[in-house]
Amino acid sequence: MIEVKGLSKRYGQLKALNDVSFTVEKGQIVGFLGANGAGKTTTMDILCGCSGADSGTAIIAGYDITEQPIEAKKRLGYLPDVPPLHGEMSVEDFVTYAAQLHKVPFNALNTRVNDTLQRLSLFEVRHRLVGNLSKGFRQRVAMAQAIVHDPEVLVLDEPTEGLDPGQIVQIRELIRSLGGKHTILLSSHILSEVQNTCDRIVIINKGRIVTQGTYEELTRDLSQGKVFRLRVARSAKDALSRLKGLPGIVHAKIEDDHGEDTIEFGVEKSASENAPEDVARAMMDGGFGFRELRQKTKSLEEVFFQVTK
Amino acid sequence: MSVVFTIAKRDIKSYFASPKGGAILFFFLILMGSFFQNFVVSYIEYEQRASTMGGQAPTLEQLLRAFFYNLNFILVLIVPAVTMASFSEEKRNSSLRLLQTAPVKAIEIVLGKFLATAGVMGIVLLAASVYPLFLVKYGNPDGGVIVASLLGMFLLMCSQLSFGLWISSMTNNQFMAFLFTMFGLFLLLVLNWLAPSLSGGGVAEKIIKYIASTDHLDVFLKGMISVGNLAYFLCFTALFLFLTNVSLDSERWR
Repeated sequence: MIEVKGLSKRYGQLKALNDVSFTVEKGQIVGFLGANGAGKTTTMDILCGCSGADSGTAIIAGYDITEQPIEAKKRLGYLPDVPPLHGEMSVEDFVTYAAQLHKVPFNALNTRVNDTLQRLSLFEVRHRLVGNLSKGFRQRVAMAQAIVHDPEVLVLDEPTEGLDPGQIVQIRELIRSLGGKHTILLSSHILSEVQNTCDRIVIINKGRIVTQGTYEELTRDLSQGKVFRLRVARSAKDALSRLKGLPGIVHAKIEDDHGEDTIEFGVEKSASENAPEDVARAMMDGGFGFRELRQKTKSLEEVFFQVTK
Repeated sequence: MSVVFTIAKRDIKSYFASPKGGAILFFFLILMGSFFQNFVVSYIEYEQRASTMGGQAPTLEQLLRAFFYNLNFILVLIVPAVTMASFSEEKRNSSLRLLQTAPVKAIEIVLGKFLATAGVMGIVLLAASVYPLFLVKYGNPDGGVIVASLLGMFLLMCSQLSFGLWISSMTNNQFMAFLFTMFGLFLLLVLNWLAPSLSGGGVAEKIIKYIASTDHLDVFLKGMISVGNLAYFLCFTALFLFLTNVSLDSERWR
């Protein structure tokens, strides 16, 4: 549905994008993750035809955004980082205007607008001026502008920016409910948001795609070997020295944060197959009061910091 | 095509939703009103002088021409105020994104904006035609001259608006758009007088004089509608609308 191939863009000396490629399958929600200034907005602007790339192509629902912009834009809804609003219009007028610009047929106009307003809980404020609304409401009006024509592809640039926790949950639920029928590319620098809502994650840093995949793939691939946490009831220090004697065990140390009885250790990739069993047996035989052996999973935060370092 | 009207309708509404549209009309009508009053007073003075001391009595057509020449000057202030925000304001608050991501061609956006400003200036001209109507009520001026003059003024406005839109499409600063538009329009207004010193006579002078709007407008103010002058204004307008389109389209490559 969204196909980006080899996008590059320069702003003077600054190389904003460098050979960015990724695809989003139909019905998927893909998170576009990156620090501020990593190139998220530039990519999205190019994707939506607001800005041109120096090289590379962006294809929306089968239409190239530079070759057939009208056809591509018909199937596209975009929520830019700065909401594109007209403060002097009422909410209802503004959403109707956006629908007309996106060529919603006249007989469907009223129902589409009303549906969208209901969906985003904007119906109560539909007669108020956009400029007089609070930031959270304005963000939702901007969201309404993006979805009012029921586009196949939605590009959302930091959709929950400036919302309160309740509204964040609401928008997240809305995005999740839009997934499946719509294809969504969603940018954010809030990791938990991406982790919760997205099927796949693309991480961009300094204009380059550093890694992409599902959350499980990312967290698995990036842990070199595995990290385990072991808890024993007695004499953790002796258990530690015993552990160090086992093959393939590295970086074993007592974890002070979790009390005196917790040991953290890494297992080399070559030994990872049998290591848990060996460790458990050694602990049982040594009489250390074996309590728990658990594999530590990496959080998205750790992955993010590791790849954008 | 309907999207052109959608854009134009929204823009016209927004002129009058803010104090801007009202303020423009307010100052314009006050200025024109005081000028008109002034002209009528001097007209009556000349007429009395002619009847007591003899000589040529002034005609209502002369009064009309003086009035429209003044309107021509005031437009140099009014037109930039109308066009300055068209693109620059939308760029500044990034609402232009809404138009850029909609399935709308750049030329449709340009035409929509042009239609909106032409609508606002049409209202201004309609308001200004109150004064000639006074003359019709209390005197007997040549109706043809009034119609031709109004048409000429409207064509002049359109050409000025297209120039203003072009300037506005190149900046995100309203004030800069106002200044540059005003300077450009003023230059076009005085080009006729500057022509001899700029060119040193000959064909060059003729060309410069042709570019200036003054001579073309004069023909309309005399009550004549000619294809050549009509074409001048239409070409001028089309040229700058095209340049605006280019400038808006090139936005993506900057």
